[in-house]
Amino acid sequence: MSDTMASSGFNLKEWIFTTDHKRIGILYLIGSIAALAVAGLMALLIRAEQFSPGMQLISNGDTYNKWLYFHGAAMILAFLIPGLTGFLANYVLPLMIGAKDVAFPRINAFSVWLFFAAIIIALLGFVVPDAPDIMWTGYPPYSVKTPGNTAFYVFTVHLLGFSSILGAVNFLVTVIYLRAPGVTWFKLNIFVWTTVAAFVIQLVFIPVLAAAVTMLLFDKYLGTHFFDPAQGGDVLLYQNLFWFYSHPAVYVIFLPAVGVLFEVISTMGKNRVFNYKAAVYAIWGIVAITGEVWVHHLYVAGMPDWIRIGQMVTTLLISVPVGLILLSLWGTLYRASITYNTAMLYAAACLFLLLVGGLTGIPLAMTVVTVHLAATAFVHAHFHFVMGLFAAFCVFTGVYYWFPKMTGRFADGKLATLSFWINMIGVNLTFWPLFIIGVDGMPRRYYDYPQFPQFESYHHLATYGAYITAVGMLGMIVNWVYSAFAGRKAPENPWGSASLEWTHCPSPPGPGNFPEDVVVSEDWSPYEYENRPSGARTATAPAE
Amino acid sequence: MTAMSATNHHPATAHAHHWEVSVAPIAAVFGVFFLVPMAFSAYFVYNSPLLAIIFAGIGVPLLLFGVAKWVSEGMVYKPLMEGLSSSAGLPVFIVSEIFIFLALFATYWTLRLSADVWPPAGTPHMPALLPLIMTVLLVSSSVTIHIGEEKLEHGDVAGFRSWLLLTLLLGGLFLGCTVYEYAHLAEQNFVPSTNAFSTAFFSITGFHASHVLVGLAAFVAVLVPALGGRTNKYLVTGVSIYWHFVDIVWFFVASQIYFW
Repeated sequence: MSDTMASSGFNLKEWIFTTDHKRIGILYLIGSIAALAVAGLMALLIRAEQFSPGMQLISNGDTYNKWLYFHGAAMILAFLIPGLTGFLANYVLPLMIGAKDVAFPRINAFSVWLFFAAIIIALLGFVVPDAPDIMWTGYPPYSVKTPGNTAFYVFTVHLLGFSSILGAVNFLVTVIYLRAPGVTWFKLNIFVWTTVAAFVIQLVFIPVLAAAVTMLLFDKYLGTHFFDPAQGGDVLLYQNLFWFYSHPAVYVIFLPAVGVLFEVISTMGKNRVFNYKAAVYAIWGIVAITGEVWVHHLYVAGMPDWIRIGQMVTTLLISVPVGLILLSLWGTLYRASITYNTAMLYAAACLFLLLVGGLTGIPLAMTVVTVHLAATAFVHAHFHFVMGLFAAFCVFTGVYYWFPKMTGRFADGKLATLSFWINMIGVNLTFWPLFIIGVDGMPRRYYDYPQFPQFESYHHLATYGAYITAVGMLGMIVNWVYSAFAGRKAPENPWGSASLEWTHCPSPPGPGNFPEDVVVSEDWSPYEYENRPSGARTATAPAE
Repeated sequence: MTAMSATNHHPATAHAHHWEVSVAPIAAVFGVFFLVPMAFSAYFVYNSPLLAIIFAGIGVPLLLFGVAKWVSEGMVYKPLMEGLSSSAGLPVFIVSEIFIFLALFATYWTLRLSADVWPPAGTPHMPALLPLIMTVLLVSSSVTIHIGEEKLEHGDVAGFRSWLLLTLLLGGLFLGCTVYEYAHLAEQNFVPSTNAFSTAFFSITGFHASHVLVGLAAFVAVLVPALGGRTNKYLVTGVSIYWHFVDIVWFFVASQIYFW
């Protein structure tokens, strides 16, 4: 289908002013990969600084704080959330339900440009004096008292939040109204379910974060007293409001990430989704519980025991639906005839990374253990295994899997496989040592640690791991750009998937997506593959 | 993995339509971008009123252009599927709005219930008459917009215009009361930075007033085309739902802030 692209030619106006969900999805991809690159650079600087005790690159902590701020805020708000609920949801979800576009295409365009406006503000932080230096959490009183530009942080959150809320409105209405005839609720792709659930979380919880950071803005610049105990304010109130959103935000990332895995594993294994309905109920179970666990981020901030224990129970309770989802994922692999291409390699890696990230979360949920581990490198490593490694790898899985759909070409090849292994080795080398020194008491976020010379060699390993990861990431992105223009041509449904985006529309789809209106029969399912003994069919089964 | 080009069953000619474009969204976004984050930061963070005015000067026309273009496109917009109206997203959006108000109220309750004395020192006496008048104004405006909507449904565009104008007037009076009240309180040195109550008071009433303002702007946006005889009942329904929501929130604001 690259003929269509060639014949219509590249028209910049058609991209900038586009209201088409696929092009908006690509714009999100470009923005979020740019954010990944800059925030990744910050991570390299942070790791280089932590290489040894003492100052390596900086003369005081301010510069280091700005790196931390940008790394955290950009990775979460500008790479992971837009990468999953912006890029993948936009490109794939309407195709999966057989829709010609989203319900409100112009609101969709509004959302993507709000995202870019937020990125511009975040990047302006590098050129204006007094860049924000308040991590991605922005806790008062520091965020109110710092000479840094807290307003930029607040507006970044506002613009991204507004963008996400409008995205939620758009996609919820899209899934409710625009499913093609025959695409009933319990035949939706798991990725559609997870995206809908993620958007419900965004819709309900983001407003609370928006309110919290607005109060921060007022306290700092208009002299109000929301978080000022001297004037009857409450400094812990901010932490409560912040985590009331930011814990569920973990699931805004986690759920679509898992959704991607379901698509890839089912297609590459030519197998039904194991326990489909249980997985769907589990997704909604997570949505129901995720609003009642935020206080576990404040375990050491001081609170009555009955709250602490109640929060421990709800926090541990969430592993039940998560466990059900994992059971479905692994069950989908059971007796599947798996094809190992790049997407599947990443998906398999994700299962491993999630296992490590998930299991190290359980001790952190328990109050007795977390008192010891709070604010150590152990928390840092746990968090990065779930968000930085698992969720990021899921985005990459999605890119490789839908690459032929988006470009009409494969991104698989030697460079893809090589960069995968470099990434996999790099990230594990970075974060395993941090678990170990975290248990032994290495605090997280420090740029200097003269009191802990015994941890230096572990920090060396972690830093080398970061350098290796950087090489892998570079290779991966080079591979994507190269493949988009010169990769091997792909057919319409190269993986032999049963899902609508592969079976009913060309690669890449043109305006309006489907050549004919989609109608599916009663026995259709996106996961319907013939029952056959293991290994009977290969993944790439072109028409002939 | 060979001979993949042969598997394309859908010739390019099957795509009848072209790539849809609109200049409205990006114009509106950058209007907001210059008007709020940039102008605010220039004024409050970098103490440069001149720069703030320049940013606002860029932002306002961009935003107005974006909104005007959007509304004029919206007048003729055909939804992708039968039964999907332009106002279908509004109830979903309102869920979000409810939670932002909840966050503000939760904050207010936290401050109030943890205080030793309430209202804290420095709070002047708040007359109960003004909020009562404001309640009457807002409730009647909800009635008038509903009547206007009914008129439009029966094809009476002129009647719709009159009732819409009346709604605008009532909403404008409501905002007038807010301005009067704020000025009056400021005279008694009750400003956002006075104490914990002033913090909550100005934030909650101000946030509600900003919703009234947005509602009025939306009324103007449907009134202007209506003056030229162009109407779109979905847009009117949307604006009306939003207005009823703003009205209902006011009951919570008034009961919590003024009558508790």
